[in-house]
Amino acid sequence: MKVIEIKDLVKIYNESEVKVHAVNGITLDFEQGEFAAIVGPSGSGKTTLLNMIGGLDDPTSGEVLVDGTAMSNLKGSDLTDFRLNNIGFVFQSYNLIPVLTAKENTEFVMRLQGKNSKECDARTEELLKSVGLGERMNARPAKLSGGQQQRVAVARALASKPKFVLADEPTANLDSKSTETLLDIMEKLNREENITFVFSTHDARVVNKARRVITVEDGKVISDERKNGGE
Amino acid sequence: MITAISWKNVWRNKHRSMIVIVAVTLGTVAGVFVAGMMKGWSDQRVDAAIYTEAAHLKVQNPEYLNNEEITYTIPNYNAVKTFIENQSNIEKYTSRTKVVAMAATSRGNTAVTLKGINPDDEKKVSNLYEFIEEDGGSYFDVDYKNPIVISDKTAEQLRIKTFRVTTELIDSLKSLQVPENVLALTQEYEGRRFYSKTKFRKAFESELSKSDARKYGALIAELAKNYQLKAKIVFTFTDMHGDLTYQSYRVCGIYKTSNTAFDAMNAFVLQDDLARVAGFGPADFHEIAALINLDNSTEKVEQLAISTRFPEVNVMTWREMAPDAAMLSDIMDIYYFIIMSIIFLALAFGIVNTMLMSIMERIKELGMLMAIGMNKKKVFRMIMLETVFLTLTGSLVGMGLGALVLKITNVTGLDFSSVGEGFEAFGYAAIVYPNIEWSFFFAIIVLVIVVGILSSISPARKALKLKPIDALRTE
Repeated sequence: MKVIEIKDLVKIYNESEVKVHAVNGITLDFEQGEFAAIVGPSGSGKTTLLNMIGGLDDPTSGEVLVDGTAMSNLKGSDLTDFRLNNIGFVFQSYNLIPVLTAKENTEFVMRLQGKNSKECDARTEELLKSVGLGERMNARPAKLSGGQQQRVAVARALASKPKFVLADEPTANLDSKSTETLLDIMEKLNREENITFVFSTHDARVVNKARRVITVEDGKVISDERKNGGE
Repeated sequence: MITAISWKNVWRNKHRSMIVIVAVTLGTVAGVFVAGMMKGWSDQRVDAAIYTEAAHLKVQNPEYLNNEEITYTIPNYNAVKTFIENQSNIEKYTSRTKVVAMAATSRGNTAVTLKGINPDDEKKVSNLYEFIEEDGGSYFDVDYKNPIVISDKTAEQLRIKTFRVTTELIDSLKSLQVPENVLALTQEYEGRRFYSKTKFRKAFESELSKSDARKYGALIAELAKNYQLKAKIVFTFTDMHGDLTYQSYRVCGIYKTSNTAFDAMNAFVLQDDLARVAGFGPADFHEIAALINLDNSTEKVEQLAISTRFPEVNVMTWREMAPDAAMLSDIMDIYYFIIMSIIFLALAFGIVNTMLMSIMERIKELGMLMAIGMNKKKVFRMIMLETVFLTLTGSLVGMGLGALVLKITNVTGLDFSSVGEGFEAFGYAAIVYPNIEWSFFFAIIVLVIVVGILSSISPARKALKLKPIDALRTE
């Protein structure tokens, strides 16, 4: 079942009279439960592509359909609510809310969805245990290491039970051990929850773990390789 | 969750938030205190207007209002009195006779309104008997003929009030361990008599050093004050037959209220003493003053009842007799609102500035919140609540401290005696007992919430204009 359909996506930035084709006619599909990495050098357009898939940026032309819904048809609060209920985000610099604990950060999106305390508590506890932070639920981000913070971010991205998770360079700020742990956790959750994961990365360790690797260069897909069973 | 985040966000930058909270606290304390002081003044003025000067209602001959002729007594007095007696909501009343007279002693003279009263009835309606000065005699509790209660002001005008150094005063100063030079000067003044406090102080203090004058001047002047009780005052007035008549009265009591104008105009004698010489009959009275039960009725209702039944009499409420006090009482709420609004308007600029700084520091975080699904309504609510919490925290502390200050000053009073004569000339007490109604605090809370919401508009607009994608790129 196709979760994401990308049709001839183009993004052109007008920078001081020079047109920059950040994404130049990409067409791609992502099935449910995929664990895919978009790779490419800096400036290749992978983050721009991810932003358009996530509805954070508007394409110049082309279309992104999430579960059959064209993102370009959604505006304002409708688009925000769509992101809330369908897409999970993991950012390079964790972006946790510093005044909230790991548990509160995780359940935040569920609260935005209007879920009750009982439901939030159960899901949050389950997710934080899954990411190995069952004992640190009441710690604030400042008391957690970078790897731990990113694991909370992953738990937060999954809390709302999204259709897919977009992770922009999730391991860029992590050491090897934390990267390894985080990737194991994401892969486990991908399998357990059957949620599609799409990364942008140029980290070889992420590429090795991914079951599908899409290489982007100059805003175009130059290869789309599926691996059987991942590594 | 949004409420919890907003509250926690207030404490992100404790130092910055505390500056705003302390500013709001001080502003609120100042506002509560000023409002309490004004309310105290207003209440004391209204109380004095009703319970000392005018009562709730006054029935008079309508002609008397235009011309204070002795013959303009209340028409159909007995029927009016019986009607008032039978009104269930009129709790107490008293009848008075009035004569405009010229008062004279061997050293001074002045014009006053002599009021013939029955002290027992009068005490039920007017608390003037509570204002008898210390060492100022009593409220008709004497056994000599023709007693009169006059005011401190009248005593001064008739030179019945003197300032002189006595042996007792010197003994008092010795017991108070006053410095030798002050004591020696006081002894030099023994036997000298002054008829005004200002003259006594001017003469006495000119021979003291500035600091001694400041320390002991007022105290010695107060101790030197002396009322010549039993002093004879001769009153000249026109009697009921139009003949000029004379009557002497002996001072039995000196009163002093917070209204110098009232004091200067009114002297009280026994009804029978005045009736005898003025020629009043048993039904000749110039006014009936009444207090009503405000729990069951209003001045307006009772006024209408009497004036409908007796159109030939004039019935005035205290609001008509003391319009200054009535106006003050009516507009006091608006005053509070204006004071607090000005204070919070000034504070709002600081609050807006703090919130803008807070938003500018959190642009990336706001971008993330919008990206993961926090819609604009919720972002606005978060910022608005944060602003309201910031303002409310300071104002709640301020209200607590303000209430404490009012509680203390309500007992101790605030003494404005140094400028008291100016206040009292307008009928306002020199010692104020601030107080405030609880509803005022609720009004402040509402005002604070409104100020918080309005102050949040600019920072919230700033946040709402952000695009998640741009905000996320911010470092």
